[in-house]
Formats: sequence, C-alpha cells, structure tokens
Amino acid sequence: MQASRARLFKEYKEVQREKVADPDIQLVCDDSNIFKWTALIKGPSETPYDGGVFQLAFSVPEQYPLQPPQVRFLTKIFHPNVHFKTGEICLDILKNAWSPAWTLQSVCRAIIALMAHPEPDSPLNCDSGNLLRSGDIRGYQSMARMYTRLAAMPKKGELVFR
Amino acid sequence: MDSDEQDLYYGSGGDVVSEEEDGYYCNDGDAAGDDEPDRTTFTQETTYTILREEDVKKRAENDIAQVSTLLSVSRGLACHLLCRNNWCLNAVYDQWFADAERSDELPPHQESGEQLCGICFEPFEIEDMVSASCVHSFCAGCWKTYISFSINDGPGCLRLQCPEPKCRAVAGVDMVESMASVDEKQKYYGYLYRSYVECNRNRKWCPASGCEFAVEFKDAGGCESYDVTCDCYYKFCWNCIEESHRPVDCKTVEKWIKKNSSEAENTNWILAYTKPCPKCHRAIEKNQGCNHMTCRSPCKHQFCWVCLGPWEKHTSNSTCNTYRNQSSNINEESRERVKHFLARYTHYYERWDSNDKSKKRALTDLNQARNQHIDTLAQTQGENMAGVQFVIDAWTQIVECRRVLKWSYAYGYYHTSKEKPGKLDFFGYLQGEAEAALERLHYCAEKEMSKYLIADRPLEDFKDFKSKLLQLTAVTGNYFQNLVLALENDLSEVDDETSGTKN
Ligand SMILES: [Zn+2]
Ligand SMILES: [Zn+2]
Ligand SMILES: [Zn+2]
Ligand SMILES: [Zn+2]
Ligand SMILES: [Zn+2]
Ligand SMILES: [Zn+2]
Repeated sequence: MQASRARLFKEYKEVQREKVADPDIQLVCDDSNIFKWTALIKGPSETPYDGGVFQLAFSVPEQYPLQPPQVRFLTKIFHPNVHFKTGEICLDILKNAWSPAWTLQSVCRAIIALMAHPEPDSPLNCDSGNLLRSGDIRGYQSMARMYTRLAAMPKKGELVFR
Repeated sequence: MDSDEQDLYYGSGGDVVSEEEDGYYCNDGDAAGDDEPDRTTFTQETTYTILREEDVKKRAENDIAQVSTLLSVSRGLACHLLCRNNWCLNAVYDQWFADAERSDELPPHQESGEQLCGICFEPFEIEDMVSASCVHSFCAGCWKTYISFSINDGPGCLRLQCPEPKCRAVAGVDMVESMASVDEKQKYYGYLYRSYVECNRNRKWCPASGCEFAVEFKDAGGCESYDVTCDCYYKFCWNCIEESHRPVDCKTVEKWIKKNSSEAENTNWILAYTKPCPKCHRAIEKNQGCNHMTCRSPCKHQFCWVCLGPWEKHTSNSTCNTYRNQSSNINEESRERVKHFLARYTHYYERWDSNDKSKKRALTDLNQARNQHIDTLAQTQGENMAGVQFVIDAWTQIVECRRVLKWSYAYGYYHTSKEKPGKLDFFGYLQGEAEAALERLHYCAEKEMSKYLIADRPLEDFKDFKSKLLQLTAVTGNYFQNLVLALENDLSEVDDETSGTKN
C-alpha cells in the first residue's frame, strides 16, 4: 500500500513535467483518491479515431506496480479489442505481459498504439473484428469514424483538452 | 494479443516423434542419472523407472548442470531453457543453436554515478542496483518485491524475466537464490521440480492418492503393455492413468467408466422402473408385481401402472385393456426394450462392481499380510522371511486376478452378444474356470490361513498348507493368463468354429 502510494506520487509528479512532452495524453489524478485516475487521449492521426478525444478510467490496485491497473474506455469506441458496451480493453500488457516498469503514462501510449494497430484475432468487439478479418477495411473504418464523430468529438462549448 | 509464447520452440529435430495435443513431444534420450543404478523394470519392450522425490530433484539438477556446462550459461538460464522446452534436452540444444538466444546474456554493464530505478523511480548508486543478464538495472528492493510477488503468484515464476518491457533477459534461479526468502526459495524449487515431472511427456505422477512418486516411461515404440507398478504397489496404465485394465484396452475402459457414471443410464433406469403419477407427476417406482399403484402421500392417487388410468375404473370385469390406447402401447414396448438393455448392463455392471470391491478388500489384506501376517507366521511357524513369502505371492495373485476378472466383465458387455453364441459361450467358459480357481485360492488364503495366524506354536500341517496355497496360486495364475491372452486376441479362436465350448 505504502509502496504503491509512493510510486503513484512519483508518477503524479512526472506527469506534471511530461504534460508538455506528450501533447496527446492528459492524465489526471482524482482529487481525493490517488488510486483513481482518468486520462484523455487523442485518437492517432491517419486512423478513423483521428480528431476524437477518448476518455479512459484507471483503477489502480493496492499491489501496483506489481499488478497492472484496470483501464477501460469511458468514451464509446468501435475497435476490435475494446468491448463496445463496457469499454474493457484486451491488451496483453494489462494482463499476463504486465511488468512493474510500465507506468500509467506508458499504458496510455500502448493504448494509443493499439488504436492504430488493432488485433482482430483477439476481438472483444466481434462485429469490428469480423469486418477486419474478412478484409472489409472500409467497412471497419467508416463504422469507427462514425462512432468517433458521435461520441469522441468535443461539442461546442465543451473544452476538454488544454 | 494475450500470447507471449511466440518464442516457444516448435522445431522438428530428428528426435521429434510427434507433436500432439499438448505441444512439443520428444523422445528424450536423457543421459542424466545413467551413472547410478535405477530401479528399472522391464516389461516386454517397455522400460519405466519409479522416481522418488529425491530422484526427481537429483535428475532435474543433473539436467540443469548438463545444460549449463554444455552451453556455458548460468544455472538460471539453463533452468529457463529447460522449462521452456519441457525439460527435453535435445530441444534445448536444438533451439540454442538455431536461436539468437545467446545474445541475451550480456556482460554486466559498469558505470558509476546515480541512476533512477525504473520501478520505484528513486535514485540509487549504480553499484547498489541489480540487473538480470541485461543492461536494465533496478534497485535491490524492487527486485525483491518483484521476485517475491511472482513466486507467490504461482508456477509462472519459472519464466520470470527482466521487468523492462520487451526485454527477454531471464530472471532465473540465480536471482531467486540471492534475493528470495527461505520460504520463497522452497516454493520456487517446488515448482521447478514439479515442472520436471509435469511438463515432460515421458514423466507423470503416480495417480494413487497420497502417493508422491513419479514415473518415467520410455516407450521403445510399439510397446504392448502400458502397465506400470509404482513402488507404492499401485498398478496403473501409463496411457490412460486409470488402474491397470488388462485384458481390455484404454478405449473400452473409458467408454465403460463413462457409461457407469452417465446421466443417461440414470434416465434409462427411471424410464424403465418409474412412471410419473398422472395426478401430481412425481416419479413413482414400481417395486411390486401388482399394477395397482398408490402415489405417496399427500397425493395418494390410485392408478394403474399399465394404462395410467385411475384405478377405480378397473372393476373386476373390465381390465385396463379397455383404456389402453395406441400411444401408451408403444410406450410400453419401448419401456420393455429399455428394460432388456438395462438388465444386460446391470448383469455386467454388478459383477464388475463386486470384483472391484473384492479387489479393494484383497488389497487391504495384501497390505496386512505384508506388514503383519508374515511376521506372525514366521515367528510361530519357525520359518524365515523367504519361507513365508508365499503368502504375499498368493495375495498379490488374488489382487491381480480380481482386477482382471473385473475388467473381463467390461469386455463381456462390449464384445459378446447373443448373435455370436460361440464367442459368448467360450468367454463364459474361460471366465468361469478362472473365477472358480480364484475363489478356491481366495478362500484358502482368507479362511484356511486364519488357523495359523492364531496358533501359538508350530502346526504340523503348515507345510501342507503352504504347498496347497503355492499350488493354488500357480494354477490360478495359469487360468488367468489364458483368459487374458484369449480376450486380448478377442477370442479369435472361436471365430471359425461352430461350437464354442472347448477343452
Ligand atoms: Zn526501485
Ligand atoms: Zn532487461
Ligand atoms: Zn504410487
Ligand atoms: Zn489404459
Ligand atoms: Zn400423485
Ligand atoms: Zn390399467
């Protein structure tokens, strides 16, 4: 518990410094609970998520960083490795390939990389996975773009990203 | 996306025999332990060795030492390679020379000054930091919790790697030795030696409950018997891990065991012997000959078993035929058919089961003879240990024969039928002869023995008893050998004969 707090505090300070360094990620710690974080990530360019801003919720276990954080999308996203209803993410580093050298920041980076390179063979969203597996890239892209526009585009007056 | 096993070895060296459902299989001609006398048993073309806990440890350590010496790698990397290749030495070597694995071990990298630990993000002097065989250093405290967490998390700790993402450097037994607590080390070695037995296709644990011995089996190809006798005296089939089951094959055993436990048999039973009460629909069992059924309270509905009509309509001069309609008629026929099949199955099952029980009792008696009776006999009858060995031999024969007899009933169920009366008769004849001999032997060992066990002085007729039991043991053994051979040949001798009985 003490170790995880100390480590999260270090990450908090690091995030403050890195904010300028990585303009695509904005990690925020819950005011009252250092084990709850949210992140806003920019959809990578040249993907159907381009122009969208996606919100992630982090729940950090007491055994962190020996155990991985639980992360899910709060913003609806059409992606083979993200559960369409729950936002759950299928990513090896969040499961068996986790290592304590990963940080919340680097997890965000890995998720951005996953958005750009979906893995249709381990789908959590079968519709999306099937489109990609059957080679219907355009079908997948138009669906993903539609949901990006519907759910991840900041509406007028809503300032989500600094 | 969850797979981290791309680096697993699936090559095909000259020693690869097959690559079946659970992955890599190789007929490992392992050299470990060749310099010591093994408790090796030869059964036909087959060799197996019983491994005690200390043998497992010794052999695993031998393999580790051999890999470490031959490839000039650390003990940790040797362990890792063995675990990853299911303790198959040839696979380890093949992979090593095919792979760029060698570059994984780098000389530790020397610098001075301060560095941030990549886990706790605290600064440390370089010389206070630890790395696996790679350039990624972490503080000793973080390594300790990392290793301890992994060991307490399960056998996955055998594949522990450097915490740096994507770095494949092994954090092996060397690091565990220097950083883990005594308990954790013990746990780690427990997993290591267990994997020596569980991950290799040539080794298995003895399935007897409470037995901690392992068996190494070397199938020299086309071996006829998979029978293994563990040092705990349990006899089992290497192939299917069930109790030894000669003369029937593994497939028949599996079918039979499934049948015995299947829900379907239950359903058939209910179908044949019970019917739902037409009023409250609870299953009512017919246990008497009379067709006048009375449901259990509180229903107490009275009905006719045959037509399910209310009983009060069955006056003395109107039988239920009056009520019987076509559909219930068909129902009754299928019920009779099921009953016939069930009766046949029950016939074989009851005999299989009763011999199973006899076998279990005989096994207890064998152990009692071994631990107690032979000492008593040796003392009171003035014999040495070799002189009372015949008692053990008799009980061993009894256990063995009960087991054969038991499985012969599973054979009977699947391989005999009224359509081939010759075969059925011959089977019955051989089985009957063997069974009769066994009953004589069992009686002699059980009943006639007791007199000598309670005697307080040498009895004159002990010599006679001894030669009688010896003879019965031999005779019974012969009968059963004939039975086993005949059934293993599927009674082929009678296939082209008109009459089944022979002498
Ligand atoms: Zn550290
Ligand atoms: Zn490393
Ligand atoms: Zn055993
Ligand atoms: Zn078998
Ligand atoms: Zn009733
Ligand atoms: Zn009736």
